[in-house]
Amino acid sequence: MFKKFSFEDISAQNQVKASVQRKIRQSIADEYPGLEPLLDDLLPKKSPLIVAKCQNHLNLVVMNNVPLFFNVRDGPYMPTLRLLHQYPDIMKKFQVDRGAIKFVLAGANIMCPGLTSPGGALNDEVLEETPVAIMAEGKEHALAIGFTKLPAKDIRTVNKGIGVDNMHYLNDGLWKMERLE
Amino acid sequence: MAEKPQPVRVLYCGVCGLPAEYCEFGPDFDKCKPWLRQNAPHLYPDLLNDAKEKDVDKAAEQLQAVGISGAGDGGGEGSSANSGSTSGSKQEEVKRLPGGKIKKKEKQEVVIEKIVRNKRKCVTVVKGLELFGIKLSDASKKLGKKFATGASVVKGPTDKEQIDVQGDIAYDIVEFLTETWPDVPESAIFFIEDGRKVAAA
Ligand SMILES: [Zn+2]
Repeated sequence: MFKKFSFEDISAQNQVKASVQRKIRQSIADEYPGLEPLLDDLLPKKSPLIVAKCQNHLNLVVMNNVPLFFNVRDGPYMPTLRLLHQYPDIMKKFQVDRGAIKFVLAGANIMCPGLTSPGGALNDEVLEETPVAIMAEGKEHALAIGFTKLPAKDIRTVNKGIGVDNMHYLNDGLWKMERLE
Repeated sequence: MAEKPQPVRVLYCGVCGLPAEYCEFGPDFDKCKPWLRQNAPHLYPDLLNDAKEKDVDKAAEQLQAVGISGAGDGGGEGSSANSGSTSGSKQEEVKRLPGGKIKKKEKQEVVIEKIVRNKRKCVTVVKGLELFGIKLSDASKKLGKKFATGASVVKGPTDKEQIDVQGDIAYDIVEFLTETWPDVPESAIFFIEDGRKVAAA
């Protein structure tokens, strides 16, 4: 999704109304309860919240020129990797084996076997169409943000094909867009 | 009230910007190595051992040379010679990525996008004319005159300058551009339609 993303893909940046800002905060708080105590710092009510609309129905939630969250159409908000790195426990985690790392970093979706092999790991609570942090065998920090296609349990039993869509990964266009100015 | 978690401090590589532990999968691991040896030796113990086994100074010198030639005059000689010893195929694979991207950026093309404001008002945005050596202020005047409307050079979201023309002129504009500036081929003009880039020709 952000493979070739750049500033040129942003078609409009608008400060949102207070009511929309509240709504965005609320849905982020609902999706990531762990972030709730931080929301006053991350998205202060008094500061202008910018939503950048991009190609393919993608929205970026931007505060002080820093993209913090993104979503597609009305889908769930997901943190940027830079934000997730700071607060790694806000998302449920999957882990890919070492062999999958280079594919994930090239933008490939995450195949079930990469998660079910000895180096991989699944959180069985995760259902389909859920944002997850993608960790990697032997690494401390997340390398991607995923959106599950199947529940974790089915990923384990089906064990072939794509299990998780790769939404955002290290060194993609969004990663490189540290600030919007 | 839940407790406020403290932010984790991640060690980002001073060269490639990835978390240092991912440098080995990054765009140019060799370039990161001197930095990693200094700042993150615990992550890559092999790197230290390697360097010790060989002549430390020599290795550092070599790596530095790669760094300079790569960043500066783009001398591929140093880096390719060095990469041969580590993993030639992997290097080639990553090199293509930045190469491809650069090419795309330099590509000369004009992009036209119609942006609808309110219900019936719209603006036609023209980007990229400067890539053909056209002065945007000139072009903006000509467009305004030709279409009897307001046209102005504005900074787009990327700080790049573009021309905003009031009104929907998207379909007459191609002919006007190619006639006014013969250097701009029709094949280099694109429209953004429903978020997709469509060739004008
Ligand atoms: Zn690095």
